[in-house]
Amino acid sequence: MLRLRMCEDALAREYHPADEMRCPVHFCVGQEAVPAALSLLLRADDYLYSHHRSHGYYLAKGAPMNALFAELYGKSTGANAGLAGSQDISYPSRRFFSGAVLAGAAAISAGSALAATLQKTNHVVVAGFGEAATDEGVFWETINYAALAKLPLVLVCENNKYSVFSPQLKRTSSDNISERVATFGIESSTIFGNDAPLVHRTLSAAITRARNGAGPTFVEAYTYRWSGHYGPASDDPMGYREPGELEAWKRNCPIALLEHEIRSKGMLDDAEKAALAREFEAEIQACFQFAKGSPFPVAPNWASLNFASATPEADRLLTDVDVNEFNAHQELVQAKGY
Amino acid sequence: MSGRAHNEITYAEALRQGLYQAMELSEQVLVMGQLVDFARGVFGSTGGLAERFGRERVRDFPVSESAMTALGIGAAVAGMRPVLVHHRIDFMFYAMDAIVNWLSLWRFKSNCESVLPVTIRAIVGKGWGQGPQHSKSPHAWYAHVPGLTVAMPATPFDAKGLLLESIFGENPVIMVEHRSLYALKDRVPVRPYRVRFGCAAVRRAGEHITLVAVGAMVPFALRVADLLEQHKVQAEVIDLRTISPLDSESVCKSVEKTGRIAVIDPAWRSFGVSGEVIARVAERLGRCLRADPLRIGYPDSHTPMSAALEAIYYPSEVDVAAQLRKLCR
Repeated sequence: MLRLRMCEDALAREYHPADEMRCPVHFCVGQEAVPAALSLLLRADDYLYSHHRSHGYYLAKGAPMNALFAELYGKSTGANAGLAGSQDISYPSRRFFSGAVLAGAAAISAGSALAATLQKTNHVVVAGFGEAATDEGVFWETINYAALAKLPLVLVCENNKYSVFSPQLKRTSSDNISERVATFGIESSTIFGNDAPLVHRTLSAAITRARNGAGPTFVEAYTYRWSGHYGPASDDPMGYREPGELEAWKRNCPIALLEHEIRSKGMLDDAEKAALAREFEAEIQACFQFAKGSPFPVAPNWASLNFASATPEADRLLTDVDVNEFNAHQELVQAKGY
Repeated sequence: MSGRAHNEITYAEALRQGLYQAMELSEQVLVMGQLVDFARGVFGSTGGLAERFGRERVRDFPVSESAMTALGIGAAVAGMRPVLVHHRIDFMFYAMDAIVNWLSLWRFKSNCESVLPVTIRAIVGKGWGQGPQHSKSPHAWYAHVPGLTVAMPATPFDAKGLLLESIFGENPVIMVEHRSLYALKDRVPVRPYRVRFGCAAVRRAGEHITLVAVGAMVPFALRVADLLEQHKVQAEVIDLRTISPLDSESVCKSVEKTGRIAVIDPAWRSFGVSGEVIARVAERLGRCLRADPLRIGYPDSHTPMSAALEAIYYPSEVDVAAQLRKLCR
């Protein structure tokens, strides 16, 4: 969590006014608990799908921080060579994917869970998304099918209350998402999402259920984003947050809460924390150097970026049609003249 | 291969045979769609699959087009080769987010590291009062989007070959099938074979005018060519087979010879395949054309239900032949 917080804070400091990261970035400061718990729970062969607030999930799957930074800077060494940016970043070799249109990645995640059941592999699939994703119809189609097909899927809703500036109860008739999900026959719960040990326990149980073939789980984790919807600056001048709300959530910082707990158990002291911070700071500075020092991409071949020309499976399994045979066929079609 | 090398089968049977063989060839092939597991599944094109391969791999799906497409994407991410089936292409508009925002750009945004061999079969109705909600053919919409291959088989032979090429290729493919073609019989090789994308077929050779057609308009164009022949006009009929990629080479080669072009597209006339084909020809051969190019399609209106109006709405061979004769004077 501390690594993620420091990473996001550092990116936020560099975002403006330098303006060298020229893409929309949705910072996750304040929402570190869910991705941090997942980083301890997921295996290499598990799939993780994320919404546009992606950095925590990206790091949770073990994807390299320097490629994240380079992606934000639009460099050729970025995770996706500067093609995707923050909100659509992926790291396929680590089975991490994200995307910006809210419920889309969660719906897609169900397909990778279906594959696990058909391929008889033991991988599970987790998708993280905001509560506004549940405003979209495909979310409920997915919930229905996940329940019907008993998919090895864990859906984690980070309820941070706002869709951009619009509070949940301005958009939906009730704020009981997990109750509604439960009616589909899915194991479902709502938890305080800044209590990292609780988040860890809950997701651990959900992932175990999925891995054991007991079907999908939905977890709604209440949390709060400290920054504006995107970019590091507060969008408080928009006047959409209630007075004192942000301060109350800052007093419930997931990192501070965990720190308090482990310090009280004698599991962390000042020296250990300072050492961790030094280690992360050095990593972050190295990532900036890497990103800033990397070259921009050169003009690509647009066609091959969008279409694969190699067809190894088709080459292996299918035969081309003999020209003479094909011509004979043509005559047949013409003779019929349909 | 033992036994007969060819069978004379219908378009629907060719699709069924292609699916059957694909599922035999690879366990990664998965079929999803409403009622795909029924005996007469999807106008005969999926019948018997569930009995042979089981309902895990031949999945009757709820009326959730959007989630079905998303699941297809996620299954492909994990290495599967799903085939999604829509009885009515009109219902597929619910899947537009999944198709445009996710499926089409997945390869691009992953810098080619993750590919999605997803095949989407969608059927377009025509006639017998299908009306405005069962007869739209939005193939050009999909062709406009980078990353999507759009196949429009006009013969049973192509239906099977293009389907297999889609399933075992590495790109997402939208296969638009016209229901009016389903009963057509043709000689189809028994073995699993491929029809490569972007290779138009000359269905009939001619000297005077190039008729470019797709899908259900290929047999229509052949009938028009028969009528023209009675008036000593030799039409060359080119079946594009896929509209993305689009085989401009074959079209231009023909137009170099004939100097005239008409495109017959089973869709609204404006902003469609016809305009694109003619633009590509004009960019290369504009000064060589001996007559104005012509787009033939449906009026820019939704489809009426009444049989009396259908007869007016859909172009007739006789009218089109008369229009084309004027070009060839």
